[in-house]
Amino acid sequence: MDKTGRRDLALGVHGPAAVILGAMLAYPIFYTIEISFSRFDLMTFSAVEWVGWDNYAHVLDDYRFWSSMKVTLIYLVFALPLQIVLGFGIAFLINADWRGRGTVRALFIIPMVVAPVVAGGIWRMILDPLWGIMNWFIGLFGFAPLDWFGDPNLAMAAIVIIDTWRWTPFVVLIATAALLSLPRDIFEAAEIDGANWWSMLWSITLPLLVPIIAATFVVRWLGAVKMFDIALAATYGGPGGATNVINLFIYEEAFRSLRFAESAAMAVIVLALTMVLTGIFLIGARKLEERY
Amino acid sequence: MGTVEIRDVRKAYGQIEVIHGVSIDIADGEFVALVGPSGCGKSTLLRMIAGLEEISGGQIAIGDRVVNDVVPKDRHIAMVFQNYALYPHMNVRENMGFALRQRRLPRAEIDARVMEAARILGLEQLLDRKPRQLSGGQRQRVAMGRAIVRQPNVFLFDEPLSNLDAKLRVQMRSELKELHQRLGVTTVYVTHDQIEAMTLADRVVVMNGGIVEQMGPPLDLYDRPESLFVAAFIGSPPMNFLEGVVEGADTLLLDDAQSIALPMSVSGKGRTTVGIRPEHLSLAATGWPATVAVVEPTGSETQITARMGEHVVRVLVRGRTDAQPGDAIHLTARAEDIHLFDSRSGRRRRPGE
Repeated sequence: MDKTGRRDLALGVHGPAAVILGAMLAYPIFYTIEISFSRFDLMTFSAVEWVGWDNYAHVLDDYRFWSSMKVTLIYLVFALPLQIVLGFGIAFLINADWRGRGTVRALFIIPMVVAPVVAGGIWRMILDPLWGIMNWFIGLFGFAPLDWFGDPNLAMAAIVIIDTWRWTPFVVLIATAALLSLPRDIFEAAEIDGANWWSMLWSITLPLLVPIIAATFVVRWLGAVKMFDIALAATYGGPGGATNVINLFIYEEAFRSLRFAESAAMAVIVLALTMVLTGIFLIGARKLEERY
Repeated sequence: MGTVEIRDVRKAYGQIEVIHGVSIDIADGEFVALVGPSGCGKSTLLRMIAGLEEISGGQIAIGDRVVNDVVPKDRHIAMVFQNYALYPHMNVRENMGFALRQRRLPRAEIDARVMEAARILGLEQLLDRKPRQLSGGQRQRVAMGRAIVRQPNVFLFDEPLSNLDAKLRVQMRSELKELHQRLGVTTVYVTHDQIEAMTLADRVVVMNGGIVEQMGPPLDLYDRPESLFVAAFIGSPPMNFLEGVVEGADTLLLDDAQSIALPMSVSGKGRTTVGIRPEHLSLAATGWPATVAVVEPTGSETQITARMGEHVVRVLVRGRTDAQPGDAIHLTARAEDIHLFDSRSGRRRRPGE
């Protein structure tokens, strides 16, 4: 095939994908950036006037934005480490040789295939203060019923619990694959060297898993910053904004309050922050990988 | 005491038995090589000595103690793995000291032992490097160092040189031998390479299909193989085999109707295989007629591949020869260099059998 022919083929093959990506990803992103710097006219439903950083100034002045950011941060700080620790811990346990572990592994997949909104709904019922099974359960141990969605701290806990229920299995899956792929002879060498269960875990397994733990963290981080659906279904940001994560707040501002320009500015801020933090995490993950 | 006593040891995975009653006695300070093709059970046997595989039947004693139910770390053994199995996140010093740290030895003693091993193996300059910053030969030395610092009664090696290139393998082989002579520790060494086994070991155990075919000093195995398998396995280039039926007292009638006169009387019945090592065949004015097919000079010796009817035989001649492809030659061998085997059982035929 001559050069032009090759170029035509390349265009033909890549073209459709490029058009779809452009339409579905690039256009919305750049449109959002445009809106964030403009006055948005609801009558014509378009950006009508360039206003520079005005929208950003408004957003940064809005205490509700900061409180949403704080809520998101709290959620991330609790949910991510919890899911990673639980995920690798459970993987470590079900990786030991015992009967029925295959079934348990299969059961662990269930939370991942349940739609997030459904998961939120199910947990709303489980955690219902009056007739939820959770309060009945803790009642068995003599605890008073808890108002899961009425108390700000408990509502955040509920969100973290639901998200953990949903995403820990994903971490378990990755961790199981990682554990199975570790070289067996290193563990045999450690066994001959006299390592007990604890030093095997602490001195051999964990250091070998560090790069994978770091990579899993980055993957989960990217999923977690998008947190929206569970909060929407379970608490709707309540009570009093205690679980109003940033994505829910942006959604509310845009489609309920119709403040598109300010929401676009928030979205751009979140996008930039996410990119910077993801970059830092990726560099960190690579550093860890080099060390171990 | 570094004796190892293996008594009628069996290994079965479920219904399938892979080692069928192996008995080997290893003396203190002896270097024993387990050799055989892949799947013969040599590695499994080694892993049973180490305690990494359960023993399905029989018993293994190290020193005076039966170790069937003793965990690996209490068997006073050290093992060197094929892929070295170094801890990738620890530097050389930490790798070598790991076992001692597990035993909670005082820091000063750990350092002293690691330094001593590093000195023996020439690793002093590399103590702060990670395994991935080392070459294959250096990693191999670290793996040995990790074994040495434990001052075990028995060293176990599982094909330790097979990941090295040919030149390094020869070099490490002599280092290993020197190390054994210096430390005098009982060593069990698994390899599929018969040259390695022959050059290193005081005694070679040839395994095949989960049984011991033959064991003995390397040259005994070479000079007097008890079976066709050992005869074919030991020696490079391999022994020539000619199979046929004995006719009269000293003639072997081959399947392609050639008859070969043997320089001794043979009383065997049934099918017989004659084995002659390439270096024991010589060119002569009379003898078995053959045609030269290939001549391969290496300088010190020349290997000739010749055809005898439908059979191909290899001849190793000291020095050089003027034989050319296509030449008609005659081959002879001395009676004491000819091995006779029963073709069906594969066992060596003794005089009068």
